[in-house]
Amino acid sequence: MSRDVRAVAARVITALLEERGSLARLLPAAEDKVEERDRSLLRELCYGCARTAPRLQLIAAKLLRKKPTDAAVNALILLGLYQLEYTRIPDHAAISATVNAARSLGLDRATGVINGVLRNALRNAEQLQRKLSGNPQFSSMHPAWLQQQIKAAWPSQASDIFRANNTNPPMTLRVNTAKISRAEYLQQLDDTGLSAEACAISPVGITLVEPVSVNILPGFAEGLVSVQDESAQLAALLLAPFEGARVLDACAAPGGKSCHLLEQQASIHLSALDIEETRLVRIEENLQRCGQHAELICADVTQPDAWWDGQQYDHILLDAPCSATGVIRRNPDIKLLRRETDIVELATLQSKILRTLWPLLKPGGQLVYATCSSLPTENSEVVAAFIADTEDASDNTPEQLNDKPWGEKQVAGMQLLPQTGGGDGFYYALLSKAE
Amino acid sequence: MAKLEILEFPDPRLREVAKPVAEVTDAHRQLLDDMFETMYDAPGIGLAAIQVHVQERIVVVDISEDGSEPFGFINPEIEVLDPEIHQYDEGCLSVPGFYETVERPRRVRVKALDRNGEPFAMEAEGLLAVCIQHEVDHLDGKLFVDYISPLKRNRIRSKLEKSQRRRA
Repeated sequence: MSRDVRAVAARVITALLEERGSLARLLPAAEDKVEERDRSLLRELCYGCARTAPRLQLIAAKLLRKKPTDAAVNALILLGLYQLEYTRIPDHAAISATVNAARSLGLDRATGVINGVLRNALRNAEQLQRKLSGNPQFSSMHPAWLQQQIKAAWPSQASDIFRANNTNPPMTLRVNTAKISRAEYLQQLDDTGLSAEACAISPVGITLVEPVSVNILPGFAEGLVSVQDESAQLAALLLAPFEGARVLDACAAPGGKSCHLLEQQASIHLSALDIEETRLVRIEENLQRCGQHAELICADVTQPDAWWDGQQYDHILLDAPCSATGVIRRNPDIKLLRRETDIVELATLQSKILRTLWPLLKPGGQLVYATCSSLPTENSEVVAAFIADTEDASDNTPEQLNDKPWGEKQVAGMQLLPQTGGGDGFYYALLSKAE
Repeated sequence: MAKLEILEFPDPRLREVAKPVAEVTDAHRQLLDDMFETMYDAPGIGLAAIQVHVQERIVVVDISEDGSEPFGFINPEIEVLDPEIHQYDEGCLSVPGFYETVERPRRVRVKALDRNGEPFAMEAEGLLAVCIQHEVDHLDGKLFVDYISPLKRNRIRSKLEKSQRRRA
């Protein structure tokens, strides 16, 4: 007998609701439990549920007299509502399969409530829609606190941001122009039958019309291209290390930006640092595939006494730990896992790392501060406060990149907002240290 | 240990009836090990010897999440303890990609021999009861698709035949 894919999906969603891990960590293990042909459905159910959870949770709350105490029951309700609202699975099949999943998880006693909620959702769909459509959490599909923070920071762009966050992201490649030109690689894609176009701002970026498995990309294993969002590709462009420079990539995993820096300027001496050993393995794998070499350091960036050799760097890339609210479309579980209190805590950490690294930069050197957050608390506010406190620091972020305007100018640095069909949400500030 | 090939519906060999094991030997213990390996690799939660083209009354089952509750049954016999009907959407490693609702008694007792030839008995309900009944059906040449309408069964048959031709 084979295992029920919905029961496996319900386990993953239960783990998310109980904050026991992220989709990126939970899904690979879950995929091993179902047959290969069921894996795309499993993925869709897990990602889809996370993406729509803020809305589905409101629907469930309206239909339940009392929220079930068991997270698995809540997960099954979300799973059923997701299938009813967002998949082409016939309604009766969606309901019976969800009830079935409950049985297979040993939740026979909950099948009545699950069945009842799903049937009511179906019967009262229009009425629910009418009642809830005025609720910003419902319309934005973001948790209330995040909806409010985005709306406050970006009053005129908020609805576009929500839409972009709720849409599947494009697959974008970075061409290793040390090995092949972008035009030549576009030709290779065309020969393979893959439609793609050159990115507007990144001179090495290509966006595929349809996402595909990396295995069918020409020369992927040989490092001709890497998968990297266009916004993320701008880090190396901004930092633009000179020949032979000493460069630190301070929070380097999984190593995409390290590889890019080396592809752009092969002669640099790059140190790639990360706090987690397992994540360093990812950097090493990426470097190997791209045929690059860097010094790998496993350390806490805020404790340079433990890892720094005392020689200042010409360039530092600080891709700081952040809320990842700019890449919600790639990691929709952020909607379930992040808390409002995380944001201020992250800003404190970001500020601490920036202040720790600044003395490690040579006079005349440059530091790029980057996050994949859309919230000014983690971005322009951190950088503006740092510049105000730091005499030898100045904001040198260009208004044009690759001769093109790029993003929203801030009191300090530049904010890229997530674009439907375009790049992820990112923040960049290029800081120069006085001679 | 070796991974075995799993027969796919509508292979006529799935309709053969398995014979009781007269004496449990090392060869049967090896078969149990290979069947567990094959089931975990698929991955699945139950497998009958008929599905790997061995006409003996042997099944393996493990419904746990982490492979921690393996059961091997030799010459299993089922007694219904609670005739109340339980509905479950079953899927089968020999009918890959299809799930259909099947009704079975919700609670059963299984008597069988273990890998050392010792008799044992256990009670099962819920998914475990479904799975054991599903596997024991295989030993009698029966598949879960036999419980659904001929129309649905034929649709599954033609879809699987098509994908088998594509692979051949």
